[in-house]
Amino acid sequence: MPESSTTEQSLTEDQVLPNNHTKKVMKGNIAAAVAAKLCRVSLVTAYPITPQTSIIEEITSMIDRGEFDATSVNMESEHSVFAALKGASLVGERVFTATSGQGLLYAHEVLHAIAHMRLPIVACNVGRPSFPWNIWADQTDSISQRDTGWIQFYCESSQEVLDTIIQSYKLAEKLQLPVMVVLDAFYLSHTSENVYLPDQSLADTFLPPAVRENNRVDTEQPRSFGGLVGPNMYDEYNRLYWEDINKVEKATNTIGREFSEIFGRTYGAVEAVNIHNNTKKILVTMATITTTARQVIDDYPDTGLLKIRLFKPFPKKSILEAMKPAGDGCTIITIDRNFTGDTEGALMQEMKRALFGKSVKISGVYAGLGGRDVSAGTIEKIINLDVNSPLTDEVTWIK
Amino acid sequence: MIEIRGHARGGQGMVTAFEMLAKIFSYRYNFEVQAFPFFGVERTGAPIQAYLRISSAPIQVRSYIYQPNMVIVFDEGLMENSALIDGLTTDGTLIINSDKSPQSFKGKASRIVTVPATRISVERKLGSISLPIVNAAMVGAVLRVLDADVHEAAEIIKLEVPIKPEANVEAAITAFNNINEFVDTLFRLQQSNGSAAKASKPDSPVPFWDKPMSVNKTGSWRVVAPKYETREAPCTYNCPAGTDVRRFVDLAAKGKFEEAHELIYEHNPFPAICGRVCPHFCQQSCNRIYLDGNVNIGAIERFIGDFKKGRKKSPVPISKNEKIAVVGSGPAGLTAALRLRNLGYPVTVYEAMPKAGGMMRSGIPRFRLPEDVLDDEIKQIEEQGVTIITGKKVTVAELEDHYSAIITAVGSHIGMGLNLGSQSGISDGIEFLRDVNINKKTGQLNRGDILAVIGGGNTAVDVARTALRFGAVPTIYYRRTKQEMPAIAHEVEEAIKEGVKLEFLSAPVAVEPGNHGMLKMIIQKMELGEPDESGRRRPVPVPGSEEFISVHKVIAAIGQSSDHSVFSGSPVKARQGLMEFDEPVYKTPVFCAGDMAWGGTVVEAIGSGNDVAKETHAFLNGKTWEKEESTLPITSYDEINTAWFMPAPSHATPMKIPANLLDNFDEVAGNLSRDTVMEEAKRCLHCGECFNCGNCLNFCPDAAIYIDEENRLRVNYDYCKGCGVCVRECPSSAIHYSDLI
Repeated sequence: MPESSTTEQSLTEDQVLPNNHTKKVMKGNIAAAVAAKLCRVSLVTAYPITPQTSIIEEITSMIDRGEFDATSVNMESEHSVFAALKGASLVGERVFTATSGQGLLYAHEVLHAIAHMRLPIVACNVGRPSFPWNIWADQTDSISQRDTGWIQFYCESSQEVLDTIIQSYKLAEKLQLPVMVVLDAFYLSHTSENVYLPDQSLADTFLPPAVRENNRVDTEQPRSFGGLVGPNMYDEYNRLYWEDINKVEKATNTIGREFSEIFGRTYGAVEAVNIHNNTKKILVTMATITTTARQVIDDYPDTGLLKIRLFKPFPKKSILEAMKPAGDGCTIITIDRNFTGDTEGALMQEMKRALFGKSVKISGVYAGLGGRDVSAGTIEKIINLDVNSPLTDEVTWIK
Repeated sequence: MIEIRGHARGGQGMVTAFEMLAKIFSYRYNFEVQAFPFFGVERTGAPIQAYLRISSAPIQVRSYIYQPNMVIVFDEGLMENSALIDGLTTDGTLIINSDKSPQSFKGKASRIVTVPATRISVERKLGSISLPIVNAAMVGAVLRVLDADVHEAAEIIKLEVPIKPEANVEAAITAFNNINEFVDTLFRLQQSNGSAAKASKPDSPVPFWDKPMSVNKTGSWRVVAPKYETREAPCTYNCPAGTDVRRFVDLAAKGKFEEAHELIYEHNPFPAICGRVCPHFCQQSCNRIYLDGNVNIGAIERFIGDFKKGRKKSPVPISKNEKIAVVGSGPAGLTAALRLRNLGYPVTVYEAMPKAGGMMRSGIPRFRLPEDVLDDEIKQIEEQGVTIITGKKVTVAELEDHYSAIITAVGSHIGMGLNLGSQSGISDGIEFLRDVNINKKTGQLNRGDILAVIGGGNTAVDVARTALRFGAVPTIYYRRTKQEMPAIAHEVEEAIKEGVKLEFLSAPVAVEPGNHGMLKMIIQKMELGEPDESGRRRPVPVPGSEEFISVHKVIAAIGQSSDHSVFSGSPVKARQGLMEFDEPVYKTPVFCAGDMAWGGTVVEAIGSGNDVAKETHAFLNGKTWEKEESTLPITSYDEINTAWFMPAPSHATPMKIPANLLDNFDEVAGNLSRDTVMEEAKRCLHCGECFNCGNCLNFCPDAAIYIDEENRLRVNYDYCKGCGVCVRECPSSAIHYSDLI
């Protein structure tokens, strides 16, 4: 960058902005990098992979410019990336990384270990599919990690990426569980848009410094980690884990409210749009497809929108609460941008689980896989599906 | 909301331009914005798209733009693609980077704006002339069309561009003030009548994975073109006989020894001999020497020569009336005779010695060149119709009445004496070798004789090695050092292995009678001074450093001169080709070739013989002849992409040095096996010539390399965008940049 006395801050001086915020035009990937800085992360390990790489490039540039006091290490693989984070987290450091697709899949084994060793690591995943080889937007990579024990958030905008990472550290450190923050490739990672960048002071008020008091590597009190656990103890570890995973949904909503008090923006496990007593159809979406659906349902007063932000653990209570106004008899259409080799997409499976026993029809579509553009026209096609046709019973492939 | 779609080539800065515009409209005008590129695999020159949404309300759509209000074209060449304006709204604006008037794009949109962004950018040296970066100028034009203020945007442009902030702002302002606009009021009407094309189903103008890339003729982007161009290889270039070394090595690598022999024979009728005794200038200049050892071309040539031992070839019919005489049956004379005989001339070779071969027979010891090898290649020449009359010393005067042309190739076989006094026991090296090789005289040396050999050339080394086989104890005295020795390096090494001692920086200045019938030789020690005209450092005497040694015999081998008796003793100016005489004046044209003219090695004599034959033939047809010198550049090691050659150490010629050398004249150097020869030949780097490895085909990002009807790799210039990947990845430097094609 050229030497210049002008900063972007001074360029928006006439505009009314939220308190202690600066307006920035930034890509989702840059928002992720800046969020890591705001959270005062001390270690970033990484291995490059499209479309994640610009997150790590921005982080290392900020470190290089002296704006971000952290250590970055370029590892030899994603397996090592997560293994190194595991070690650093065990001594109490607040750590971060970002990956995509095959990189995340390669780290699969370590993801389990991180979750069950109860390490509050936050990682960004910029979603792309597994195979056939493809680098475009798709959620198959992260969805396929849903059983590793990580909490998963799916983001809709650059602003949400930035805000969710800040909230994720609070959640992760509260429950000692790792969080994966998922961005759609390109539609979010490489799209420049307005973001209100909070001052560091706001982030510091919301997120106190990382403290790991128990269960940490301490040379004064030597203990062993990751040892063999026999049948007499194993299920007890899982049960304890289960107790805490059950707290995630509520904690997400609580932390979302706390966040709004400081930053002025509210977040929850889910978001309901236009769900009322005349709602006949509800589109269930995640991530950037939600944005386009918001516009389209303006023309469909009887169609509502349910955005799933917290995907894992699946926020059953919040969903039922959000759908309450619509009552029984409405049709649910899930939009899955993932393919996990099953008859139904992951979102449809989870919705069926959440709505078990309710008198609603659940239909689902596969759309936008491998980066296929989901335009307003695509959403209209989905809304206008004849859900009663035997041909569209349950699952439809949308182009 | 305004939706803008941009079309450019990768490298023009469009994505940055859209990012700048997003920031300008967000920071300066408080709009909601969304800027993003078409998500693809972008590369320089390829058509790319970018999108920009500007809205006063939150933007609730995240997809590509199919019905833009504005289309911006950064590269006029892209206008050929009709899909470019797909979906542009009927009241939409088309902005084109062009020097042309907007009217020249009539029918494409209702409002057309042109801006000379390339000219503006080139004038301000933004990017390069071949790839101007036009983004700041295009930003200026868009700001003008959207009624924004370019001066408000200046600070943002400065922050966003990586270099030259002031020049970029200037470009934006200049473009802002220099747009040309044309509003086509009838356009919308025509659109509603359906007379103009309307995109019903918007399609992507960017070639996508399921669309053929062939629509994207990237050749229009090229500013420099790669071209297949065969250049000189150092091996071929340095062969005095003109042998196509690179090609015969390639044939050998493929096991095509028959063809390889034919190819060598075109230039050199003595491959088995040269395989053994040639200094192999080809091998010495082989580029692989800098990688992991030069290709053992000598061993390959030797194998090819031996492969055709006993080869039979019938003579071509005599078709010419002009009889030609060749005096001297060395390599120059025999080569010239063969070439002319093959042209249909009756040719007779006269040889003073009892057997043909010249210095190959008289000057080279049998342990380097076995007699059967020599006899065979001479016999092959005789079988092709060359008559050789041996044991007959002739003069030009005797021959002139009987021949239409006479070629003198009598060699250079008179030893130059050392001015060391006239003691008995001092003899000449070349004479010594001739006595041993031809006259089979072995009595000059006795077992145990201490022998001083003076000189540093092949004759000195051959004399010393021959002396060892008579039981003598030879030491070579040379006035410079090993590095300056003109002898073939591996011959020197073999001599040392056999037991020859070498004394460097030692010049004998006198030989006097000594005690017990021995000789007392006075040696002047030398040191190396400034380089002389040959480039070698001149030996300079070290004052007061004379030494005395006692020896039985001294053999001097310090150079040879020619025997001019062929010209009846008259002094002549020997030079390659047609000779001129002051006195006598011969009726018949007389030509000169071989060591007498130039050179001093077998291969140089062969080259000389080839040339004199051509000149003689031309002369007899009333023409003149001049040697053509190659003007092609010689491929250097730096031009070879060695990453593509696996390490492969050289296969050395096997050496069989007998435990007891006494009277053992068996050949020392051995043959490589057929497989090893092929392996060795495969080490060739193919300097300056395509060998169909296919790297260019594999690496070309535009798939612009194809195989033509002659099975050659060639460039399809419709698609070659001049990136130079093929030039870089060509292992052998057979592709070079050339001017625009």
